Amino acid sequence: MHGFAMKKFLLPLMLAGLGFLAGCGKSSGPNGDSLPAGVKKISIALMPKSKGNAYFISCKAGADRAVQELGVELLFDGPTDPDPARQNEIVENWITMGVDVIAVACENREGISTALRRARNKGIKVVTYDADARPDARDFFVNQATPEGIGFTLMDEAARLCGGEGEFAIITASLTAANMIEWQKYIEARRAEKYPHMRMIALRPCDDLKDKAQSEATALLSANPDLKCIMAICSPAVPGAAEAVKQAGKAGKVQVLGLGLPSENRRYVHEGVTASVILWNTENLGYLTIYAAHALARGTLKPGDASLQAGTLGTLPIVGDNILLGKPVVFTRDNIDQFDF
Amino acid sequence: MTGGKIKLRDWSAAVVLGVLLVLLAVFAPAFYQPQPLLSLLAREAPALVVACGAALVIICRQIDISVGSQFAVCSVAAGLLAAQGLPLLLVVPLSIAVGTLLGAINGVLVAGLRLPSIVVTLATMVTWREGLRWLRQGQFVDLPDGTQWLGLSQTAGQWTLIVAALLGLLGLVWATQHLALGRFIYAVGSDAEAARLSGIRPQMITFLVFVLMGALAGLAAVMNLVQSPQVDPKAGTGLELKAIAAAVVGGVEITGGRGRLWGVLAGLLLLACIGPALTHLHLEAYWEKAIQGGIILLAVVADGWRHRK
Repeated sequence: MHGFAMKKFLLPLMLAGLGFLAGCGKSSGPNGDSLPAGVKKISIALMPKSKGNAYFISCKAGADRAVQELGVELLFDGPTDPDPARQNEIVENWITMGVDVIAVACENREGISTALRRARNKGIKVVTYDADARPDARDFFVNQATPEGIGFTLMDEAARLCGGEGEFAIITASLTAANMIEWQKYIEARRAEKYPHMRMIALRPCDDLKDKAQSEATALLSANPDLKCIMAICSPAVPGAAEAVKQAGKAGKVQVLGLGLPSENRRYVHEGVTASVILWNTENLGYLTIYAAHALARGTLKPGDASLQAGTLGTLPIVGDNILLGKPVVFTRDNIDQFDF
Repeated sequence: MTGGKIKLRDWSAAVVLGVLLVLLAVFAPAFYQPQPLLSLLAREAPALVVACGAALVIICRQIDISVGSQFAVCSVAAGLLAAQGLPLLLVVPLSIAVGTLLGAINGVLVAGLRLPSIVVTLATMVTWREGLRWLRQGQFVDLPDGTQWLGLSQTAGQWTLIVAALLGLLGLVWATQHLALGRFIYAVGSDAEAARLSGIRPQMITFLVFVLMGALAGLAAVMNLVQSPQVDPKAGTGLELKAIAAAVVGGVEITGGRGRLWGVLAGLLLLACIGPALTHLHLEAYWEKAIQGGIILLAVVADGWRHRK
C-alpha cells in the first residue's frame, strides 16, 4: 500500500524533472485531442468554503462557464456556513462516489488535508483554490493573487490617481501581519522603480477594524495637508478611510484606494470618495479552477509544467505547484456594479 | 497628607493630558483644526459611555472584559433593526435592552453563582464574538440613508453625540454621589463583608452593576452606529482594554472601592490622543501601543506605591 503510493508519487516527480530538462514551456491545449467515444465524462467536484457566500457564488458562475466549454460533469457542494468538519464529510462522500477531480477552497488547512490525502491515495486528482491545503495534500493550488501582483497593482493605481507625484499614506491591519509586510515590500519596490516622485509619508495600523481605520485616516488627513492619496491594504480599512475623507470634506481631493470587497465599498465608489477597489476576478478564479481540474484529469497538466492553457484566459503561468490567476482587477465606478459580492 | 496625594492621583491623568495638549499646540498646531477634532471627540463619545460602565464595575471590585463583544452584538442587532426600517427612536431602547440582557447574563453568573468575573466575562466575550462571526461571517450591515448623524447634519450629529456622552457622564457622577445605589457600589467594592453587615446586599449590587454595564454598552453601540453608513460586525474589538485602561489611568483603583468617574474622561482622552498625536508629530506608529502601555503601567504602579505608604 505504502510502496504503491510512493511509486505513484515518484513517477510524476521524475516526469517533472524530465519536463524541466526539456525546457518546460510546452503547453498543451485543453481541446487538443478529442475524447474517444464511449469514455465517460470527466467528473469534477467543486467545493466552496460556504455555499451562500456571494464571493463563491461568483466563483461558481465562472466554473459553470468552463464546464460548458469543456463538456465535463460538475458536482457543486459545500457547507452552508464555513465548517471544516462538513467539508471533510463532503470530500469523503466524493471519494466514495469516485469522482475524477476534487477542487476545494479550504476552510481549515490542517483539517481538510487528511481527507484530501486519502482522495489522492485512491487516485483522485486534487486541486485547491482560493485557500490552500498542505502542499502534499493536493496536486496544484490555483493561486488567485501573488504578493507581487497585489503590491504592483496597488502602487500603479495610486500613481495613476495622483498623476504620478505626491504624498500617500498606507493604512494596514497590523505592523506585524506577514502578508501585508510582503505587499508593502512590492509596493515600495514598484514606487522606487517607476514612481520616484510619489512619497510614502506614513504607515498606520488599524487592527483590521473599520472604526479604527477611520480614526487613523482622520488624523492622517489633518496632520498632512498635502496628502493626495490613502492606500488601505486591509479590507475594513477601505470603507473606514473613505468615511474619514468624506467627513473631512475632502472627497475627490484626497483619493482613497485599497484592497477590498466591492460590496463594502460600492456606496463610497458611487459617491466619488473611493476611486478604486482592488481584488481578483472571482469568476475567472472559478473558471480557471475547472480548467486546471480538467487538464489534470486528462493528464495534460503535470507537475513541473510551467504554464496552463485556460480557455478565454489564455496561457497562464505556473510557478512551482501554484497556477497563477494573474493580475488583480481594479473596480471603479464603471464596473463595480457588475460584481455583487 | 494622604488626602493631598489622593487628590493628585485623581487629577494626574488630566495633568498629563494637559501637558500633551500644550505640546501639540506648540509642535503640531494642525491638531486643533475644528473638523478633525470634532470627529475625534465624536468617535470617542461611545467609548466614554463604556469606560464609565467599566469604571463602575471595577469600583465594585469586579471586571467585565466582555464589553467589546456586548458592544458588537448590540451594534449588529441595532444595525439589522435599523435596516428593517425601524426608526432610531425604537432602535435605541432595543439596543439598550439587548445590552441589558447580555449584562444580566454576566450578572447572574457572577453574583448568582458566585463565579469569578474574569472567567465568566472571558467566556461570554469569546462566545458572543464567535457567535457573531458565525452569524455574519464578517459581512457588514448596511444602514438605510438618514440613519447616519440621526438625520442631522454631520456637525450637529457629532455635537449631539458628544453632549449626550457628557450628559451620561454627568448623570453617573451625580448618581454615584447622591443615590444609595451609587454609594453602595463603593461600599461593596471596598469591603463586601462590611457592606453586608451594614445591611447592603452585595450580590444584588454586583448583579445591578453588570446589568448597567450591558445597558451602557447597548447605548454606546447606537452612538457608534450613527457615525457611519455601515456596521462592522467586528466593531468593539479591543474596546474592553480601552475602557478598562481609561478607568485605571483616570484614577479608578483596580482593587476596587475607589475612583472618580471624572477621572475616566481624562484617562480616555489621554489614551485616545496618543495615536493622533504621533501622527501629527510624524512619529512611527510602533510607539503608540508602547506609550499607551507605559501610561497604564505608570498608573498601576502609582496606585500600588500609594498603598505601600
